[in-house]
Amino acid sequence: MTQKASGFFNWINARLPIVNTYERHLSKHPVPKKVNFWYMFGALASVVLIIQIVSGIWLMFGYENTEEGAFASIEYIMRDIEYGWVIRYMHTTGASMFFAVVYLHMFRGLLYGSYHKPRELVWVFGMTIYLVMMAEGFLGYVLPYGQMSYWGAQVIISLFGAIPYIGESLEIWVRGDYYISGATISRFFALHVVALPLILIALVFMHLVALHEVGAGNPEGVDIEKHLDEDGVPLDSVPFFPYKVLNALVAIGIFGIVFSIIMFFFPEGGGYMLELANFEEANPLSTPEHIAPVWYYSPYYAMLRAVPDKLGGLVVMGAAIAILFVVPWLDRSKAASIRYKGILSKIAMTIFIISWLMLAWLGTVPVTALRTTLSIIGTVIYFAFFLLMPIYTSIEKTKPVPERL
Amino acid sequence: MKKFLLVAFLFIGSQEAFATVGAPCGDYGECDSFKPELNNMESLQLGALTYINYCYGCHSLKYSRWGRISKDLDIPEDIFNDNLVFGVNVKLGDRMTGSMKPAISETWFGIAPPDLTLVTRLHGSDWVYTYLRTFYEDSSKPYGVNNMVYPGAAMPNVLASLQGQQILSCKDVPLIASNGGVRRDEMGNDITEEKCGYLKTVEESGALSVQEFDEVIFNLVNFMTYVGEPSRSDRERIGWYAILFFIVFTALAYLLFREYQKDYH
Repeated sequence: MTQKASGFFNWINARLPIVNTYERHLSKHPVPKKVNFWYMFGALASVVLIIQIVSGIWLMFGYENTEEGAFASIEYIMRDIEYGWVIRYMHTTGASMFFAVVYLHMFRGLLYGSYHKPRELVWVFGMTIYLVMMAEGFLGYVLPYGQMSYWGAQVIISLFGAIPYIGESLEIWVRGDYYISGATISRFFALHVVALPLILIALVFMHLVALHEVGAGNPEGVDIEKHLDEDGVPLDSVPFFPYKVLNALVAIGIFGIVFSIIMFFFPEGGGYMLELANFEEANPLSTPEHIAPVWYYSPYYAMLRAVPDKLGGLVVMGAAIAILFVVPWLDRSKAASIRYKGILSKIAMTIFIISWLMLAWLGTVPVTALRTTLSIIGTVIYFAFFLLMPIYTSIEKTKPVPERL
Repeated sequence: MKKFLLVAFLFIGSQEAFATVGAPCGDYGECDSFKPELNNMESLQLGALTYINYCYGCHSLKYSRWGRISKDLDIPEDIFNDNLVFGVNVKLGDRMTGSMKPAISETWFGIAPPDLTLVTRLHGSDWVYTYLRTFYEDSSKPYGVNNMVYPGAAMPNVLASLQGQQILSCKDVPLIASNGGVRRDEMGNDITEEKCGYLKTVEESGALSVQEFDEVIFNLVNFMTYVGEPSRSDRERIGWYAILFFIVFTALAYLLFREYQKDYH
């Protein structure tokens, strides 16, 4: 029996590289033996991606992508489908948690210089994932067709109209109609459930392939490839499986606790995850008093509002995302990790964090004159952090990076 | 520098930036707090009775089904059918689509009474609880009443027969000094000033006392909170099991992780 089984396995393995792949990416894939909790968010992001895909498929069983039926179908899922509310809250909580872990994952990258040579492409693929996620989140938010879905979409789609010459036609092309309607819902549905997830999965694959080619970084910024044993395996590494998988498992457990607390006890996230205005069906004749995006877009929304001109706001918002792509080439420091960078980098990072959090908050509250000023200050700091990076990272004195981990 | 910025931010922030746009409950100010009791079946049943008798004539609960309420609220089907379901053609599996046609009600009220399935989720239960208790007599309005939470509301005070007449009145309130204490004159008496805009119920004008009426509204809003999310008590119950599962999962994963970590430490 065993012989038969192994014969069958060998037959498969001769045609499909199972053992090879398993060894290359799991049992013999070297990862730095000492990392901290900041290195867990990548694994958590892939867990949330799976949650989103599975819960998304289940939501589709009950969702109706029409102007008349969309809102009611969400309530149908929440009430009439057995445990439909579990699926729905899993998806809405998952959306917020996806952004939360990805933001922390990106911040880890900034903190420990995960984009340093040779990991530039890993960073660029990651940033592309983030960009696609933003689009995916926006499209998904329109689907329940509540008041905030409608008016949020109105605000965002009208941004296309700010582009000179082609703006107005582009706006109609995106909406598929002269105003947001059933045509918009059905195309957003197709993009949200098919097109963007396909792109997202492809990008995640590329992100991981590139990562496995160059190897994971570590909080010290030490290049573990410099010291190899006789088999060419880095001395400061352990195999990914089972060691780092177990590490991730602990993180997944803790994440599960946090996720459950939010999903089962605070699914609305205080109105920041599910905005309360979205409990009313879309009504083109009544504009809500205060249109605010969900929390994960709010820093960029604050930047958009900081600029009085619509096109200018759009450009600033676009540039704020675009600039993240080129961070690997802006950072000129000899040290990758903040631990060995100079005082200027540390100050810049601290101010950046404070201003980003301030922008995140400003994006969720109604505008006042003072808040606009604060948004402008925040936006300037945001750009200064990146644009001045080549200067402050090259003039400051770094501490020597250790040889071994 | 870091500290300076933080302090500067907090200072500016506390001054103006945190100012909100209007109070959550309109002229009433802060809403009265409402803590739902979703496992209190008696309260939910009484609330359902009040809703069907006083509200359902105008306000549908179109995402909810009759049978679900009977099941969730432990009301036997025959009692439920006899006392809560009006209309011969209504089946328990039907949605509660209301009895008034929007086109007709719009000519009556100027605006069709909204469906209220999700109203507690949209405005919050606090808001609804406060709204229903803050109607007052105002002869300048078409129905002779106005509302403090939602001034100019196009809704008559349907529960006036229970509550009685509620009017806006004035009363003497102590003046507060800049140090937060009550201001006093040389004789040590509190200095007061007349302020208006307080709700007062005319005694004996309604069928219920103020406490009894508040209780009716509590039950009603409790029921409306339930209807807004019928799975909520399930959600909060199951949530504990989910958390417990992940705690055990984390503990086991940690023990395994620690065991394997010995290999390389």
